[in-house]
Amino acid sequence: MSRPSLIYVDNNATTCVTPEVREAMLPYFEGLYFNPSSMYEPAMKVAEALKTARREIAQQFFLEESSEILFTSCATESNNHAIFGAGQANFSRRHIITTQVEHPAVLEVCAEMERRGFQVTYLPVDRHGRLDKKLFIQALEPGKTLLVSIMHANNETGVVFPVGELARITKETDPEILFHTDATQSVTKRRISLSENGAPTEEWDDFRYVDMLSCSGHKFHAPKGVGLLFIRRGTPLRPYLIGGHQESGRRGGTENVPYIIGMAAAMKQAAATHSADEKRIRELRDYFENTLLENVQDVEINGQQAERMGNTTNISCHFIEGESILYELSAEGICASSGSACTSGSLDPSHVLRAMKVPFSAVHGSIRFSFSRFTTKEEVDRILEVFPRIIERLRKASPYSRENAVKELKK
Amino acid sequence: MAWEYSEKTKQLFMDAIHGKPGTHLGEIENPDGVGVHGSISCGDAMKFTFRVAKNEEDPTKDIITEARYLTFGCTSAIAASEALCIILESRKCTPIEALTISNQDIVDFLEGLPEQKIHCSVMGEEALNAAVLDWAKKRGVSLTELGIDVKQHEEEEEGRLVCKCFSLSEPYIKRKIRELNLHTIPEITDAIKAGGACTNCQHAPGGLQDLLDEVWGTGKREQNAGQNFGKNSLELPILGESGSGSPGEVTRSSSDFPAGEMSPYQFSKKVETVLETLIRPALLRDGGDISIMDIKGKIIYVRLSGACANCAGANVTLKGHVEKILKDHVDNAIRVIQV
Repeated sequence: MSRPSLIYVDNNATTCVTPEVREAMLPYFEGLYFNPSSMYEPAMKVAEALKTARREIAQQFFLEESSEILFTSCATESNNHAIFGAGQANFSRRHIITTQVEHPAVLEVCAEMERRGFQVTYLPVDRHGRLDKKLFIQALEPGKTLLVSIMHANNETGVVFPVGELARITKETDPEILFHTDATQSVTKRRISLSENGAPTEEWDDFRYVDMLSCSGHKFHAPKGVGLLFIRRGTPLRPYLIGGHQESGRRGGTENVPYIIGMAAAMKQAAATHSADEKRIRELRDYFENTLLENVQDVEINGQQAERMGNTTNISCHFIEGESILYELSAEGICASSGSACTSGSLDPSHVLRAMKVPFSAVHGSIRFSFSRFTTKEEVDRILEVFPRIIERLRKASPYSRENAVKELKK
Repeated sequence: MAWEYSEKTKQLFMDAIHGKPGTHLGEIENPDGVGVHGSISCGDAMKFTFRVAKNEEDPTKDIITEARYLTFGCTSAIAASEALCIILESRKCTPIEALTISNQDIVDFLEGLPEQKIHCSVMGEEALNAAVLDWAKKRGVSLTELGIDVKQHEEEEEGRLVCKCFSLSEPYIKRKIRELNLHTIPEITDAIKAGGACTNCQHAPGGLQDLLDEVWGTGKREQNAGQNFGKNSLELPILGESGSGSPGEVTRSSSDFPAGEMSPYQFSKKVETVLETLIRPALLRDGGDISIMDIKGKIIYVRLSGACANCAGANVTLKGHVEKILKDHVDNAIRVIQV
């Protein structure tokens, strides 16, 4: 049997580096390898390129002031920086608000803050992954809340939170409460304006009240190992990595110049065709979901009622287990991921789906497909051909079915 | 986490799922023995059935001729189920002899399993045991008289629940600690999943560590107690003592909300009255509406709906009209926020 060609639909995990991004980076590995902090002429060229990349990235967020962009190694570092840094900068406030469905890079940092004496409110979500604004407002404690950290788009389900509005409500309640958002899954896929003057058009997310934003290059076709933290001017924040004057003293360590250049190139490339890509990917995803729902029984889309990213679909297949689905998909050359316990490295299934109260019979059988702008109709059709057959085979092997999943087998 | 399965495991899974002749996926109708282990909420479950060639004179000499399974679970769970059936059919043994088949036999047949998948082989063994008990009941064979301890299985069903995530009782976990020679919490989790989800039972009183201590008579906590950090940890706060309720905050909030003549209840009642009588009628006339979502101190969160909801002038209405009226009639410190 010849090996089928690879269909990569796990773009919320990571993405390929495009040839254009690679080309943009290459000169900074070889000829222009100098430390941007050095004094000689060739190094100044590198410093200049770094400055240009910073300005170009700021422009992608509709920002005037490029010094508000801090380069980091990844979104996890950015999240650590934002949360720990905020805690270190203000000792009079000890309360943090976040959600139950954040990425571990926020959730586990918040758990660490609890161990350090902070009080953390973890907001629940409803069956479709949405936040309750009333609960959010109730959690805000003027004079006491230090930080709100709420993700923009969920990595597992693609559900989008109204971050712009939540940030506004926060600031209007108490301007001293800091608002951070982990926008790892949405940057370049949605247009985000961080300008104090608001967004240029309705199409953009207006994040003028957001103080800090994290993201990571490898989710949008830059390489792994580079990310950024937007820090609005005047935000009280202590450094996280200490040991150097780089990044205006906010982060020690020589800047990862080639990767930063790559990240800027990737952002520009994505922006050039953003509107057309967004529409095409969303249509492709909807076509995929609709076809699947029409042809396969007992599958459901997690978060379907909520506003979602156009590239993500999280499907629960009742009565079967996600890891064996993934294994079969992988044998067909299809790369996806699952919220099943067997794939998590622990025995706990996805905390996101459990927070959404997805029934157990469906949590273990959840599969996430995440498309990119390089995903084609042919690839989606191939998945639609293979996936229902896999579901059918595994259901034949399962002791559970529609009839007996509710009443347990044993009794 | 990438797959670390042996070629044998992968092959058995693929053969079984694709219905290769000679594989054992399925369910025997009117089986002579049926056993179930696991549950859908735990993430894996197996229904195991077998048929025997009956010995009319002595049921203990029945020979297992056919075995089938239905399994909800990961790749290795299905492969382990397939392995169990192959082992069983090749031995041509009695159900009582089948009780000697252990999870290790299944692991060996699969040419090894990743540590965190050992529980898949244990599931096979347990489902087989349950099926043999079922056979004994149906055939009127007294296992107790043959020196096989049946009682423990009943106790296990009734016993105190230790691991709530996977519904595992104290007698069961203790038996497995002895049978599989488990000495640490990670070993228990790999083998039978106990303590692998919420982790609360690991170090709780009467939890896994206590059971280990009881079985092995160690009585001392092992080094890996540190695993539990973070859950209601006893560590002291690192950043000083400025917790909630510091004097600074009290001053702050009391200056925000000076001790006035109104209680919070009276305040909210008054806000509602003003809203109903002086604000809503005007908005309704324009095809809009307003409702209070929450009140926090002197901050009032409102939702505009109807024509107001998407009106470009909503903020002007809110600040210039609604907020002003509330300030004038209730309290000058009021702020209105649109939700």
